[in-house]
Amino acid sequence: MIIPYVLLQIVFVPALMVLAIALLGPKLGKKTAWIVVAALIYTSLLLLTVGIELYNGGPPIREEYVWASVPGIQLKFGFMADGLSLPIALVMNLIVTACASYSFRYMEHKIEALYGKGRNGMYTVYYAAYILFAVGLVGVALSTNLIELYIFLELVLIPSYLHIALFGYRDKERIALMYFIWNHIGAGVFLIGIVLTVFGTGGDFEISSISAISGSPIAFWVILFILVGWLIKMATFGFHVWLPWAHGEHPTSIAAIIATIVGLGTYAIVRLIIEPLLPDFAPFGLPLMILALITMIYGSMLTLAQDDFKRLYACSTISQTAYSLLGIGTLSILGMAGGIFYFISHIIGKSILFAVAGLVLTQTGTRDMNKMGGLAQKMPVTALICIAGSMIISGVPPLSGFQAKWILFTGIFSQGAYGPMERIIFILITIFATFLSTVYAFWPLRRVFFGPLNPSLSNVKEAPLTMTVPLLILVLVSLLIGIFPNLVMNFLTPYLQSLPFT
Amino acid sequence: MNLIPWLIWIFPFIGAVLVIPVAKISSKLRDIVAVSFPFFSVLMALMLIPDLLNGTSVDERVPWISIPGVEGIEMGMLVDPLSIILVNVVAIISFLIIVYSVKYMKDDPGLSRFWFLMNSFIGSMLLLVISDNLIAFYIGWKIVGLCSWGLIGYYHSDEKKYWIGGPPPTSYQKPSGAGLKAMITTGIGDYSLLAGIILIYLYSGSVNYTTIFETTSIWMGEMAQTPGIITLTAILILGGPIAKSAQFPLHEWLPEAMAGPAPVSALIHAATMVKAGVYLVARLFPIFYYGYWISNFSEAQVFFLVAAGIGAFSAFLAGTQGLVALELKKALAYSTMSQIGYMMLGLGVAGLSPNALIIGFTAALFHLISHAIFKAALFLGAGSVIHSANSIYMSKLNITRKIMPRTWLFMWIGALSLSGVPPLSGFWSKDGILLSTLEANALWLFALALITVSITSFYSIRIMGLVFHKGGSKSNPEKKVVNHKENDEGHHVGEPSYIMWLPYGILAMLTVALGVVGPWFSGFLEHTFGNYFESTLHLTTVHVAGGVNPIVHDFLPFISVGMILLGGYPAYQLYIKKKLNPVKIVSKYRGLRFLYQFLWNRWYLDALYNKIFVDGTLKMRSPTIRYVENPMDRLLNEKIPRFFYWLRGPTLRYVENPMDRLINQRVPGLWIIFANIGRKFDSVIIDGIANGIATAGQLISRISRTMQRGVMGEYVFAYVVGAILLILYIFFITFLR
Repeated sequence: MIIPYVLLQIVFVPALMVLAIALLGPKLGKKTAWIVVAALIYTSLLLLTVGIELYNGGPPIREEYVWASVPGIQLKFGFMADGLSLPIALVMNLIVTACASYSFRYMEHKIEALYGKGRNGMYTVYYAAYILFAVGLVGVALSTNLIELYIFLELVLIPSYLHIALFGYRDKERIALMYFIWNHIGAGVFLIGIVLTVFGTGGDFEISSISAISGSPIAFWVILFILVGWLIKMATFGFHVWLPWAHGEHPTSIAAIIATIVGLGTYAIVRLIIEPLLPDFAPFGLPLMILALITMIYGSMLTLAQDDFKRLYACSTISQTAYSLLGIGTLSILGMAGGIFYFISHIIGKSILFAVAGLVLTQTGTRDMNKMGGLAQKMPVTALICIAGSMIISGVPPLSGFQAKWILFTGIFSQGAYGPMERIIFILITIFATFLSTVYAFWPLRRVFFGPLNPSLSNVKEAPLTMTVPLLILVLVSLLIGIFPNLVMNFLTPYLQSLPFT
Repeated sequence: MNLIPWLIWIFPFIGAVLVIPVAKISSKLRDIVAVSFPFFSVLMALMLIPDLLNGTSVDERVPWISIPGVEGIEMGMLVDPLSIILVNVVAIISFLIIVYSVKYMKDDPGLSRFWFLMNSFIGSMLLLVISDNLIAFYIGWKIVGLCSWGLIGYYHSDEKKYWIGGPPPTSYQKPSGAGLKAMITTGIGDYSLLAGIILIYLYSGSVNYTTIFETTSIWMGEMAQTPGIITLTAILILGGPIAKSAQFPLHEWLPEAMAGPAPVSALIHAATMVKAGVYLVARLFPIFYYGYWISNFSEAQVFFLVAAGIGAFSAFLAGTQGLVALELKKALAYSTMSQIGYMMLGLGVAGLSPNALIIGFTAALFHLISHAIFKAALFLGAGSVIHSANSIYMSKLNITRKIMPRTWLFMWIGALSLSGVPPLSGFWSKDGILLSTLEANALWLFALALITVSITSFYSIRIMGLVFHKGGSKSNPEKKVVNHKENDEGHHVGEPSYIMWLPYGILAMLTVALGVVGPWFSGFLEHTFGNYFESTLHLTTVHVAGGVNPIVHDFLPFISVGMILLGGYPAYQLYIKKKLNPVKIVSKYRGLRFLYQFLWNRWYLDALYNKIFVDGTLKMRSPTIRYVENPMDRLLNEKIPRFFYWLRGPTLRYVENPMDRLINQRVPGLWIIFANIGRKFDSVIIDGIANGIATAGQLISRISRTMQRGVMGEYVFAYVVGAILLILYIFFITFLR
């Protein structure tokens, strides 16, 4: 059963909630969170109904609305849920929901520390901006139109900027600006790609008609600009320098969301350039893989070099996002399946880990790992959650990371396992590079949670349940996906099989 | 569908999940749950025994993961002789150790966590051995590793009494560090194994053992088209077992793994998990055997060569380190590595010659079973001893045979079986491995294995002597060890409760029983696997020429016993009779002193690895930040913004200001010039015209005024002139025409 206007509701119900928050926020104060959570649970349920429909082999769901009708051009405004966009929209919505309930206590602590008690206006600003994340992220995933997608993408920048600038840590205004500029440059380069596409298609903005330019010389430039735009947003090596800063200083409640935006490139690259322009993309495959490998190794080394608990997970995002990029770069059906799957798994894991970093920061007041140690005695539940998160990002079963990882590497190996020797060596380097993830996931666990308790932390208490329960739910989701990978693969398999792979 | 093979591994997982909530109700109920679910597994495992006698292989599957482009992955349980034997060994030993833990871990504050990890471990270990595909196998393989990490670091607060290593100047290792070391070292092997699995999957299109085996000739043929791929696959696959089973060169984690509680050492780091590698080699054995002997891919032999070589070398390497160990559990850990080396050797040589196929394979398996039993008994006994006497160092344990008579007996049975003394189980299984190396004509490996027999009996008797047979020379420096565990206020030194000694009593009795029926049991295994290989897998077992000399064959047991005596007698004299003082002997000879240091420092491998990997990683930290990240960060986040900031000056000076001047001054100036020109034009031309017109009027008026002055003469003159002109005009017209 499909609810009428279901996709429209998913995107715009949270947008309408901005009004409700603006009206009720000043009265409700910190309880505004429940408006956000309620709206997001509603959209999550809607997405689930769509998901069940698709899981059972239903056709993709499309909705189309006329946006502006100028003589000659009819600008449309559509949404589509298929095997690629739906799981991504679903998992992003889930993460935004989990972070919203996590925000409840975290922001209370944060706003009181920054602005003092009783500043209901601040809660209003926070949550009104917060819910735009859901609109933007889900909108990007479901868009059928390049302009629409671009608008949703830029929409996400607004709350990101406001949250960092208003609720961040040290030097927050500067970091917010830095974040805004870097992401805006990425979006700008992407926009050039969009404009070139529209030139090529003769004024058509539909994603489904990008394939019309396949084979023409302009396709090369379209791919180049869209790719570079997204590589900036994905913080690949060379473009990564904004990410440790942004992740180091933003309020932890949106950390997971920032990490999601970073990984979103995986989806956009597949949807916008690989799916329609597969033959033209071929020359980009190998350079992309090499760039991804460099990013993986460098990101790992950078992660190992951190002493700051928040920056640690920021740097690991650099390396983990590159895994997905590596899978996509193979242009093989399995590599893409693995790349998307790994993106989904990684953002679940990374949301958990960032949230844990926030919990530890809130409870102990420090972010320097050299000053921690033995926290498992005081915060056993947090330690457990952190272990689960580390398992996801280092690919330890039974959580989702392993299933994603082996499918991903099967795809990567399929591009090199048949020789010649240099390619075999290349793929072996890629898999052993991920070994570093075990080191950077488990070594910090020891530094933070195990060993003798640091005497300065003797008064630390376990985090409240409102903060840990959402994270436990994420762990559970990851566990379910890890045991039944078809929860993701049943969406991706039909979609990828419909692509023209040789 | 037969649910029994599924329930075998699902039960302990249910136990693991239930333990945590049940702990909130009552701790007694929690312990009951923790013990009963492994017991259900034992029941399920026993129900498979009839299938073993039939020698069948059943593989039932259900769809599991859909993979785009190819057929999906199926999940299933493979019930064949290998898995049935392994499942029973794992389930029964696990259950006994769990029972032992009830008392050993009593009143520990983290007991729920302990039960959770132990039950998860048992479940995943059973999943590992009974699943029918490499992916499920790998999942089990990783979870056992994770549980091992959690249980090695069980005392995660690193209190000093749980440190192992030492005494100074040798450094201590803390439990959380030991866990991390195990996790990371085995992690290298895990990635290697995963790479190997993926290669097999890509070429064969399946992860199911049966399917992979049935299509060996096809996919290995494709691999053989690129030279080196089969070799690479074999080595990558073996990387997993080498790490997990603590073989050279990835063996350094196991000695430190003894930081966990004794039941953990017994279950995970002696009886079961470390055997997972041996199981994998045995499981993939038919595939590579088929590839080499039937499809004639010469590279497939690498699998067996590496397994045999690494096995024999590790047996020797770890055995020598065991000679000088001071900590009871560490000494046993070295012997575990050494004995697993024997198993790898047996499996390796089994693939090197069809003559050795059945005997090598079954001997390795027999050794796996017998070792699991007697080593578990030894570790549990060691746990009781340490529990009671409260020291990790053998020479500091204040116990004698009189204080713990049962433990003394059971541990001696284990130690003698470990040495390979007939008629205990270890004798038969080790003898089979030695014989198979001869059958395969691997004389170097045989020699190495034989030397290790002496080494084994030496350290086994040394351990027993140091633990139980005190007295004699007082100047033993191994007694000078600083005991950092002097906290036994009102500590009861003596035999533990029956819940503890009964499990290892049963294991010791099993060792004896298996020894008594040893030849028959090994005959049974040979028969079962002979049938299995020939009729189910159709592997050739035809003997080739050049087998072992029958005289050597018959004398081998005597050679073996001779080697045991060669190692055992000196140990007996040194550590039980105390006729001589080993320390004095060592200090007398420079060569021996050097050898002692070399062995005590584990051939310096641990130090080497630490230097390269741990120190290397730590040393990379600051250069990464200083030379790469910060310059890049500065370039992009400071230099570029600063460049734009600096650009403000030149922008103003060279662009904006000149432009400003041009547009706001020069251009208006131009207009002024234009205006001036206009004014000139205005004043000269326009005014000139106007004035000209005015002047002309004046002139005309002046002329016309002169004509009207009223002077009569002028008028007359004008009249006359006019009249003359008129007359002339008329005249002119009239006459000239």
